[in-house]
Amino acid sequence: MESRISSPARNRAEDRVLFIVIPLFVLDAILGIWGFHYHHLHPTGLFAYLCAFIATLPCFAYILVYGLYLAEEKDEFQHWLTVQSMLWGIGVTLSVTTFWGMLEKYDPTVSRMDISSVQFLFLCVAAVSLLVYRWRYR
Amino acid sequence: MKNRLKVLRDWSQADLAARLEVSRQSVNAIETGKYDPSLPLAFKLARLFESTIEEIFTDEN
Repeated sequence: MESRISSPARNRAEDRVLFIVIPLFVLDAILGIWGFHYHHLHPTGLFAYLCAFIATLPCFAYILVYGLYLAEEKDEFQHWLTVQSMLWGIGVTLSVTTFWGMLEKYDPTVSRMDISSVQFLFLCVAAVSLLVYRWRYR
Repeated sequence: MKNRLKVLRDWSQADLAARLEVSRQSVNAIETGKYDPSLPLAFKLARLFESTIEEIFTDEN
């Protein structure tokens, strides 16, 4: 008998990352290089909102993939592991950003945190904690 | 929660996982008492071993 059941939810999530999220990131990078590096765009007004929305699309897509995976995962233990890792991601992200916000308030010389990097921080912490959990319960 | 999964099963963790339609990791976590299964999964285990939930799991309190 097969040693590991491939979770259909996980397979679908991996497919969604591969065929939706990653192409969106690539498209974003290409558009960014084309617009800001070669054409030196300085978007203002509604165009700035549109640029910000397009730049955020891969992140929206990733959150959607994460949510769909949680909704579709039938293996309750894997579901629990993912939720635990997300809680670590949320906890660390909130702690770090709150600390840095306070630091910016009290020490104006400190460099300002780029808010768009917050989701990256969350995803990194969640990914690392998921790896640790998987190793712990291997 | 303590359990008698290791005693009851004649199969490997992987075989039991396949029968329960969960990952081997899940079976290992339940068997070692690191994770308490939900009622539906506990009932599934009980049906698989043709016993009751109480015969498989014992409350430590």
